[in-house]
Amino acid sequence: MTSATYFEDVVIDQLATTPAITVTAAHVELYQGLTREMSAGPGEIPDVLPLCMAIGLGWRVKEPPMAVQAFVALDWKVMKELRVGDTMHTSSRIVSKRPMRDGGLIVDERTILDQHGEVVQQGRFTFLVAKRQKEASA
Amino acid sequence: MTDHRRYFDEIELGEAYESPGRTVTEADVVMFAGLSGDYNVLHTDAEFMKHTIFGERIAHGLLCLAIQSGLFTRATAPYATLGFGGLRWKFKAPVKIGDTIRLRAKVVDKKDLDKPDRGLVTLDRTIVNQRDEVVQQGQTDLVVQKRP
Repeated sequence: MTSATYFEDVVIDQLATTPAITVTAAHVELYQGLTREMSAGPGEIPDVLPLCMAIGLGWRVKEPPMAVQAFVALDWKVMKELRVGDTMHTSSRIVSKRPMRDGGLIVDERTILDQHGEVVQQGRFTFLVAKRQKEASA
Repeated sequence: MTDHRRYFDEIELGEAYESPGRTVTEADVVMFAGLSGDYNVLHTDAEFMKHTIFGERIAHGLLCLAIQSGLFTRATAPYATLGFGGLRWKFKAPVKIGDTIRLRAKVVDKKDLDKPDRGLVTLDRTIVNQRDEVVQQGQTDLVVQKRP
């Protein structure tokens, strides 16, 4: 069975840092083809693209992945523009956890930083995460 | 070249738009997994998902958020957008492969920013599916240029 981090295993204030990824013109073109968001000029990156890449980077940490059942909410702020050729990584901190009948809600504060360590985007993800018992009996 | 973009001054409170529909395909989900690096089983493991409450793979929440951003550009004349300020968003229901989504948006707030050449436009946005069920909903803040 695949190992996972269940609701019970999530620790408040737990920190994680991901590997980095360079955002290329190819990413921008793929993103624009997929979404038809055409606002970016030469060298610019649509602001939602780093957010999309942040969630993928979030899985590339040494801890087993959280047993996410659903993405519930998102509060997000853009502080600084990222440009093609910049290299981003993310850090995360577990802010709160609230048990529910099935699983529980986890609030995860994520920060996107550039190659200079400057904060580019930041906000909070709320996930519904499975409890261990439920998964074991499934 | 004629500038068809709409500046901060020209955008009025209460303006509302509805986009065309867009069917979310398996190709969209696979491409988004590759682009974002989010290969979570929710989106990529059809066999695993048969045994969940969803019964099948679901589209990434952020894929639909990104698609609505593109749908916005097809719903109204382009804004003279300088950047994206932020968003407050709820994922209310799953979008499955083959569902058709559309965007409804309304201007609910406008305010000046410290820099005199720009303002902040807040929109209420709702994504509905082909049954008119709300799948995502929230507010976005756009930094829009004032007419020079």
